[in-house]
Amino acid sequence: MKANGITIDDTFAEAFGMSATGVIVTADSPKWARQAAVTMSGFGTSVIGCGVEVGIDRELEPDETPDGRPGVRVLLFGFSPDALLPQLKNRVGQCVLTSPGSACYAGVESKTRIALGAGPRFFGDGYQTAKLLGKKKYWRVPVMDGEFVIEETTGVVTEAVGGGNVILLGNDRAGLLEATELAVAAIGKVPDVITPFPGGIVRSGSKVGAKYDGMIASTNDAFCPTLRGAVKSELAPDTVSVLEIVIDGLTSQAVANAMKTAIDTIIKEGWGKGVTRISAGNYGGKLGQHHYHLRELLP
Amino acid sequence: MSGLTFRLNTYPDERLDLSPLIPSRLATLPLADILDLVVGTTKRQLKVSDFFAVSGQSGDTVTIQGGSEHLDFVGAGLDRGTLILDGDAGAYAGRKMTGGELHIRGRAGAWLGSGLSGGLITVKGSAGDQVGSMCPGDKFGMTGGIVHVEGSIGDRVGEKMRRGTIIARGTAGTHAGSRMLGGTIWAEQGFGPGPGTLLRRGTLIGPAVEQMLPTFADSGKHDLVILRVLSRYLSATLGPLAPSPLSGRAHKFAGDLAAIGKGEILIVS
Repeated sequence: MKANGITIDDTFAEAFGMSATGVIVTADSPKWARQAAVTMSGFGTSVIGCGVEVGIDRELEPDETPDGRPGVRVLLFGFSPDALLPQLKNRVGQCVLTSPGSACYAGVESKTRIALGAGPRFFGDGYQTAKLLGKKKYWRVPVMDGEFVIEETTGVVTEAVGGGNVILLGNDRAGLLEATELAVAAIGKVPDVITPFPGGIVRSGSKVGAKYDGMIASTNDAFCPTLRGAVKSELAPDTVSVLEIVIDGLTSQAVANAMKTAIDTIIKEGWGKGVTRISAGNYGGKLGQHHYHLRELLP
Repeated sequence: MSGLTFRLNTYPDERLDLSPLIPSRLATLPLADILDLVVGTTKRQLKVSDFFAVSGQSGDTVTIQGGSEHLDFVGAGLDRGTLILDGDAGAYAGRKMTGGELHIRGRAGAWLGSGLSGGLITVKGSAGDQVGSMCPGDKFGMTGGIVHVEGSIGDRVGEKMRRGTIIARGTAGTHAGSRMLGGTIWAEQGFGPGPGTLLRRGTLIGPAVEQMLPTFADSGKHDLVILRVLSRYLSATLGPLAPSPLSGRAHKFAGDLAAIGKGEILIVS
């Protein structure tokens, strides 16, 4: 298939069921809300190596947050609610509690709840107090710039999806990166999804396994331009760079929406920037429960 | 909105217990049985039919038209649906309520919302003493829900209150929040003398205190995020009835230091 000069592979992205939770981080200014959110999202690219995949869903206007201050919604994806729990506790405790003027609230609403403030409240050393408003309980932890307010629990969902992806190939390395950044920015407007890798972009796509014992994943040699000719390459002679956008979403539909948005953006903006081809990563369809066929996502 | 209407056509010459007149208790009763319900509190065993004309059909709403300070226990035990009293209420309105909404379009007597654990009570006029407080024999006062009084409330509001929110658009009388264990009392026009006597935990909010107890410590002026959270919660829950939103700025007094001192009086402007 071709659209606006760009080849679209007749393939699909293969994604996996995951559990997810989220928080809303607020602060006195958008700058400091974002700072706390970015800090708690650090080292949260791949569930394999980081234990959890974390990213910013979107920035929130003051009228969207529980305390009427600027906020950011952060989503976390893991293998199970139990796996999310220590990650959430550590990241909130070390990165949000410590950030000036911050407060932290539930970012996902569901019947199933996991602890949010139940751990960090003990930082108050007995001086913390609780406030129950309706069905929500908030902890007020005294800190050196006032009080850290944190909700007792947040919601967790087990129907989330991790590993939706789009692979972009180009004949201009700088242009491809520029086009991919545009696609990531467009995904930023899609609700309930994150792109957990640096700036939303992966340059080191992997294949399953390796020649070395103990390595569960290694470089995707078929998509490495510098190996063309030396391996069974998937790349055309003019391809000099390949970048991937990995997408996690609270629902399968959210992931599909994000992939469609990325593809739309690349088809509109990509050709002039050197994008030659759009593809997707899969494992033959045998590992992941969710398949997103590119032809079904075309505009 | 379907429901029964009870029109008061005889001024009660004794105190009445109207706790049977809530939607869940009337739902399965035929009209004849409703008219036979005993609401008198003397040996005369006076019935609904002795005071009220009843119309409509059982549903989610009960309306009582006409009020009196002799109408006690209006909405007591309310667990769902809506009860509207188009007039004044006596004592114990909304006692031990667990859910639903009680709207009193007049004044309310003492012990309004005592033992309340859920739901919403609104009062168009003022309310008497011991709003949201414990009654003799109770372990706690209010343990949840919201009481909203358009006027002022009397003395000892929220005694041994544990959770929930009480709002007075007017003033609160003496010793508000005495022996309080948690929850929030917000008097928009301020508190009388001695609020927070033996306060353990909980929050009293108002623009002024007539006489602060010496066992409250000045903790200084602060910007408290929790006040913004409270304002947004009340705005979402009460809509136009919600008090004006708080900026978060408050002068905090911690106490009662004669108890464990984890409560607070917040003076807001």
